[in-house]
Amino acid sequence: MAANLQTTSPDPAVFSVKTRNFGSIEVRSDQIIYLEPGLLGFTQYRRYVLIEHHQEAPFLWLQCLDKADLAFVVIDPQSLLPDYQPGALAQAKRDLAVECPEDLKVLVILTIPPGKPQEMTANLMGPVVINLKTRQGRQLIVEESQYSHKHRVFPG
Amino acid sequence: MLILTRKSGEGLFIGDNIRITILEIRGKQIRLGIEAPPNVVVLREEIYRRIQEENLQASGTRDVDVKEIAQLWRQE
Repeated sequence: MAANLQTTSPDPAVFSVKTRNFGSIEVRSDQIIYLEPGLLGFTQYRRYVLIEHHQEAPFLWLQCLDKADLAFVVIDPQSLLPDYQPGALAQAKRDLAVECPEDLKVLVILTIPPGKPQEMTANLMGPVVINLKTRQGRQLIVEESQYSHKHRVFPG
Repeated sequence: MLILTRKSGEGLFIGDNIRITILEIRGKQIRLGIEAPPNVVVLREEIYRRIQEENLQASGTRDVDVKEIAQLWRQE
């Protein structure tokens, strides 16, 4: 399974993974999130980790472990829209066997046009949902007209 | 592309686990029934392409962009 991971630490559960943005990072096997299937367009890549952004902002990196230069910036949608509650979440909770509400992590992917950070958008149509207990997740597809795939984050 | 002709009520299999049934043909519209395992993504083409394209655009984000949005966020 972990064919591209090199174990450099004496602890076999810790791997060193190369990334584009962070250089080499250490990942414990119990931090790995499995997206099954992977994100649309990248379905063959399934293993990710969440990395907190170091500055005081609610952004996280969803870093792929199977492809060093594949990483997404994500945010808890509650930071953008406190009442974000797509109907598909209920089914996703069942599919992912989420037992407690606090085990469900919902994240939306951000798109930042190069050189135009003010025009950043959030993809409210394709949230990533993760069962934190099993670390299994998937990209949910939300087809409700009030949730855009290009939701503007900062005022225009 | 494989092209098959089917009548209403007929179906087809893709592999062992995916079954598509022609439920109804009404004028220019057909209704399809799709049975597939939960890990298979089934979406209308335009929705699939929209999400796929958005994921592709988002995947190009650089660390410098995140530093900028973090700064903008703190100003808001």
